Amino acid sequence: MSKGSIQRVVIVGGGTAGWLSASYLAARRPDLAITLIEAPNIPTIGVGEGTWPTMRETLATIGISEAEFLVTCDASFKQGSRFDGWVTGDPGDSYLHPFTLPAGGDMADLLRAWQAGPSGGSFAAAVTPQAAVCAADLAPRQRAMPDYAGTMNYAYHLDAGRFAALLARHAVQRLGVRHIRAEVMGTEPAPNGDIAALRLADGDSIAADLFIDCSGQAARLIEGHFASAWVDRSDVSFNDRALAVQVPVAPDSPIASVTVGTAHQAGWLWDIGLPTRRGIGCVYASRFMADDEADAVLRGYVAAQLPGADLDALNPRRLSFRTGHRQRFWQGNCVAIGLSAGFIEPLEASAIVLIELSLRALADDFPASRSVMDIQARRFDALFRERWERIVEFLKLHYLLSHRTEPYWLAHRDAATVPARLAENLALWRNRPPSWRDFSQAEEIFPAASQQYVLYGMRFALPDSSGLMPSAAVQARLAEVRERARSLAAALPSNRTYFTAAAAASTAPAARTA
Amino acid sequence: MTQHQILNPADHRDLRIRTEAGAELGDGEMAALAVPAEFRRLACEYPILFRHDAQAGTFSALALLGFEPGENLYLDGGKWDAAHRPLAMAIRPFLVGRPHEAAGASQVHIDMGHARIARDGEGVRVFDNNGAPTPYLDDIIGQLGALDEGFRASGAFFAALDRYDLLEPFSMDVTLDNGAEHRLVGYHLINEERLAALEPALLAELRDAGFLEAIYMAIASLGNLGKLVRRKNRRING
Repeated sequence: MSKGSIQRVVIVGGGTAGWLSASYLAARRPDLAITLIEAPNIPTIGVGEGTWPTMRETLATIGISEAEFLVTCDASFKQGSRFDGWVTGDPGDSYLHPFTLPAGGDMADLLRAWQAGPSGGSFAAAVTPQAAVCAADLAPRQRAMPDYAGTMNYAYHLDAGRFAALLARHAVQRLGVRHIRAEVMGTEPAPNGDIAALRLADGDSIAADLFIDCSGQAARLIEGHFASAWVDRSDVSFNDRALAVQVPVAPDSPIASVTVGTAHQAGWLWDIGLPTRRGIGCVYASRFMADDEADAVLRGYVAAQLPGADLDALNPRRLSFRTGHRQRFWQGNCVAIGLSAGFIEPLEASAIVLIELSLRALADDFPASRSVMDIQARRFDALFRERWERIVEFLKLHYLLSHRTEPYWLAHRDAATVPARLAENLALWRNRPPSWRDFSQAEEIFPAASQQYVLYGMRFALPDSSGLMPSAAVQARLAEVRERARSLAAALPSNRTYFTAAAAASTAPAARTA
Repeated sequence: MTQHQILNPADHRDLRIRTEAGAELGDGEMAALAVPAEFRRLACEYPILFRHDAQAGTFSALALLGFEPGENLYLDGGKWDAAHRPLAMAIRPFLVGRPHEAAGASQVHIDMGHARIARDGEGVRVFDNNGAPTPYLDDIIGQLGALDEGFRASGAFFAALDRYDLLEPFSMDVTLDNGAEHRLVGYHLINEERLAALEPALLAELRDAGFLEAIYMAIASLGNLGKLVRRKNRRING
């Protein structure tokens, strides 16, 4: 690749977005001079604790071993999300959205075979062995497997603070990223309106060819300098508050393989199991629920899930957020990545994956010079506006298919709050399953499979197939799924066993030979 | 120390077996017992040699894995670098057992003292939560059956080889790239000249008994001796 005139990159912000950006760009483009400026004493948000399977490739690219990552970040495996109480709120109302794609074959045919199969079986359990693995709290891999390989698709839960610290250490010590601890006081404009340099609190001025705004909700550059417009999406996505706690767990307690999202009367609760703690949070819409009500919901959940937890010791962190994204993510010589670009409730853990996808897009087509940057910025903006649109629509689908009757849930199903394309898709899906034709980009953020898991997990009416029988081929595939589920249930260790052994191996002398 | 038990879901429901390869798991052996029924598969990877047990007065077959005691050149870290392991090694730590009344059906026994018994929660389960055999155990039971049947059929095979004097002593001197010498002694292999000179009626007898294929597979397997030397040289040369 020819050396372009964009050589100096300055990243503002030292949270997950900032350090992922620094590590990823430094690994992909060792020819760049990368500096990360982090204001001292600014706490990071640090509740983004669920990743997508993309993180495996990201970490491999950055050059961090999986064993080191897992142990250092108190990480666990995430094989999907389980949604409890979303359809009716009745006992037993639960479905899984796993990361592994459904068994191959025509989906309408698969649906018929699922329907013809044993009654009461869930869609996910019929089409992927991952459902059985998740139900038994098993790991997706054995420790002897090569890094980042598994028997099924998987991602991670992690301690965001430790993750940022690991990335920072790796970026500075192994990838040559320059780290400056200083507060950014302001920007120095270039004649064309770009940012020429940043003014720091100590009087220094830092010039660069490209700036990456990872300053979180403060959006120091994309808003502070460029005043990029904000597109509010709270008309579709109502939640705007969260209460978050961390509860320590016993060293031998089971570790869930999924993020559990439990619906409540005006929002939902997240529950993320790490080896040493559970991260639990109550997400709600302030328009429908008062803060003290949300606090009671959170405590009620902790009391039910973790009997014996010290409820008086809980001191929830209060977060408020506005749902939306930039009109333009890349303006002039500045790209916004992370919360500065946009935010939506963490229902499908879209925060960290958007950082990764932004970095892939940027590194794959890195601007060679300022003269072509506007072209790339326009394309980047179009790509990420589309991705945000898809995320907003997909999260809305979770609410739209509910039969709950509290005012919050009824308001969610008000047609005026439903994006037009989502309403159109649902109209089509009454007659046929979601298809790749509905989601035809090369890198769709939620492909047809994701829509199918939510749709049929939430008991959406199956397309009319009267008179049609499932094919023998598809029935054989579902039989393979059952057989594979038996094999995996026998061969995989429990999550707890895996992480206990991984921690022991990392402290044993000369335990790692690779 | 070996500790044989009859495998059963009541005692072994949570049992897990380490299925990876490794010298520390008992795979560090220079040869594995082989039964004629598996010669076709073994011949793709291993030299098949014969050994005479002077006390019993009988022959047995071996898949050669190395040139010195304890040396298994197919072991590569935690991997077994071949498509198939000899049955006698693949079934460990399980064994074919027989009830005291000799006529009874064979049973699956397990050596609870074996290094393959997992003690840390990792490894593959033998029974599921309902006490039903897992696909892994199903597979092992199939292999145990094949091995048991292979052993019972092998007596007639070796007797025929002996009867027609088709085995001859074999020794081989191996000089490695670094000048070190190894000598393989005490083995037998098929005497191809005598085989070729057998009366048609005897050849037909061997064919009808199903022995002829195994005999030719054993001959063909000797091409793997050169490959085994190359494995040894690669290990020495790093």
